[in-house]
Amino acid sequence: MAAPVANPSVTASALREQLQGAGYLADEALVTSAWLAQALQRPLLLEGDAGVGKTALAAALAHSQGAQLVRLQCHEGLDLAQAAYEWNYGRQLMAIRLAEGGEQRLKESDLFSREYLLERPLLQAISSERACVLLIDEIDRADEAFEAFLLEVLSEYQITVPELGTLRARQVPQVLLTSNGTRELSDALRRRCLYHYLDYPTLAREIAIVKAALPEADTALVEEAVQFVQRLRREDLAKTPGIAETLDWVRALHRLHPQALPEDMSALLLTLGCLLKTREDRFMLTAERSRQLIEGRRSVGVAEKA
Amino acid sequence: MNTLQQAIPLSERLAGFAALLREHGMKVGPAEQRDMLQAAIALGSLKLRTLDAAWRAIACSNARDWRQWPAVFEQYWLPHRIKGTVKVSGQTRPRRDLRSQVSQMHESMAGDSAPGANAHRASQASADQAGQADSDFNTLQRAQGGASLSVPDALHERSGQMWLPQELHALTQLARQIHQQLQPQATRRWQTHPQGRRLDLRQTLRRSVAHGGLPLAPAWQRKRTRPPQLFVLVDVSRSMESHAAFFLRVARALAQAAGARVFVFHVQLAEVTPLMKSDSATVQEKINAVTAGFGAGTRIAANLTAFARHHARAQLGRHARVWLMSDGFDTDEPAQLAQALQLLRGHGARLTWFHPTRQAPTSLAVRQSRALVERFIPLASLADLARAKPFLH
Repeated sequence: MAAPVANPSVTASALREQLQGAGYLADEALVTSAWLAQALQRPLLLEGDAGVGKTALAAALAHSQGAQLVRLQCHEGLDLAQAAYEWNYGRQLMAIRLAEGGEQRLKESDLFSREYLLERPLLQAISSERACVLLIDEIDRADEAFEAFLLEVLSEYQITVPELGTLRARQVPQVLLTSNGTRELSDALRRRCLYHYLDYPTLAREIAIVKAALPEADTALVEEAVQFVQRLRREDLAKTPGIAETLDWVRALHRLHPQALPEDMSALLLTLGCLLKTREDRFMLTAERSRQLIEGRRSVGVAEKA
Repeated sequence: MNTLQQAIPLSERLAGFAALLREHGMKVGPAEQRDMLQAAIALGSLKLRTLDAAWRAIACSNARDWRQWPAVFEQYWLPHRIKGTVKVSGQTRPRRDLRSQVSQMHESMAGDSAPGANAHRASQASADQAGQADSDFNTLQRAQGGASLSVPDALHERSGQMWLPQELHALTQLARQIHQQLQPQATRRWQTHPQGRRLDLRQTLRRSVAHGGLPLAPAWQRKRTRPPQLFVLVDVSRSMESHAAFFLRVARALAQAAGARVFVFHVQLAEVTPLMKSDSATVQEKINAVTAGFGAGTRIAANLTAFARHHARAQLGRHARVWLMSDGFDTDEPAQLAQALQLLRGHGARLTWFHPTRQAPTSLAVRQSRALVERFIPLASLADLARAKPFLH
């Protein structure tokens, strides 16, 4: 059966502007993917290194469209009771006790009604009356069994509760799944989703992102700092700094040296804790190497290129 | 801005494009084609740049697809932009000119008296023949005024150093499958599991709080398991010169997919696991740096002893699997290899020997210690690894 093509209220270019208004500067490809996911009512699977803005996209989408953001943070051992629904046993027991004292007989169907159902994120998103963005974050951390359960939710937008029947979405939520690639996801899950690989932003885009997030920071400082980070990403690092790290670093620099990057490398090295998160990376980035990166020199083996 | 030409209906051109995508390993079926058509309709424009982004989101399902998309898209929709480009992997086949052949002939004549020289010659023979054939073919082509051309081998059969992205992907998949079938070992610890058979009393009591103290939802436990620790030892001596690159590729895939610890050895042993796990462009440079100075004799026995006594002493137990990739030419005393293998077996580790030749190594050292090796497996190509998969459990 053919998937429906919804008529999204906004065009792709309008969506881009909305995201920009929410502080998220997306490129055309990403906006097209997000818009298409809305139009085809398909989940969007976002992959990419940590810190490139996967989770932030969901928050920005929800904010820009005035939708409710429902977030499910995946982890090992995540089960149905934590992700979809759970019966409120305490309330059920209390209802039974109260009914024992009264005259009214309590039927089983009374106890297993929506009133006694605790809605977890997936069910919350399905049963939401208003527009909703469902973020299933770091799906690769969840078990394969949970992934299999998600298939029904993601393809039919429904959850089957044995005692109640099948609960269908009142309004199809926009679903975003993120993965850092720590585990290979199943083909079945991938085929149900549109896919977008989110890479690190280009120099111009990252400068724009930082300027949008920190308008008070000096332009020269932002440009120098972002250039440094872009060059640093080309180094052989154990943990490549993402956009969040760039923002942290520029924020720190702005407080310490508001005009430009410090000339004194030892002062600069003190702030690099915002960018480099492993001991090996800190060890690798010496004062000399930092200076080379600032000046835009690139070393190749023992030789050095201007 | 480029737009799609309408001479042929879009649906027909899309079918051809989908076939090309499938040829490149992407999973594009009728459902995806339908979505691509719907996307084109929904976007309301046939601007290639917009369609490129939309179709990419539909057709790609992993990072590998994502990376190869631009080239495939351009190849089909913008063929006029493609000029004669050549992509190389950065590694070259060994040259087989006359001078190198003569010097190799001298080497082989000098090495006749060395133990195991016959086997060495046998292992090199096929490579030499292939090189000779290539050389003749290329000479012929050039003589006829044709461009330099090489006849591609069947991809999965090729044992050389040129790796295409789909071959690397197949190797990674294979390593992952091998890792999955390595029989997990039960540890002493327990973990909560719905199919467990032991009652998890603590968790059951915790859950009973939700039921007014009634244990309505019992929790179960089973033994926590973990895959066996895998060690890969790659011989990078001169005799392994033409095979070491392939073995290092396999080792790298195993390090990434199966968490194997990888060592390279020649006259010394060095661990290269961190380099193997790193996925950066400079990794090959670093491996070269670690293996610098290698390329003389091989001391398999001494290195295995060092491996068992120092490098992996804490992890060598009955759960350990040691995969040795070597042609078996050892400059140590033949009896020492048996002692070294005995030491490994003494820890409980199980040893599998991968050799680049069709026949198992026939050097005296290997013959004397054959009983201590669980299995000999020929490994010269990806197809060999696929064939060996059922035995690696």
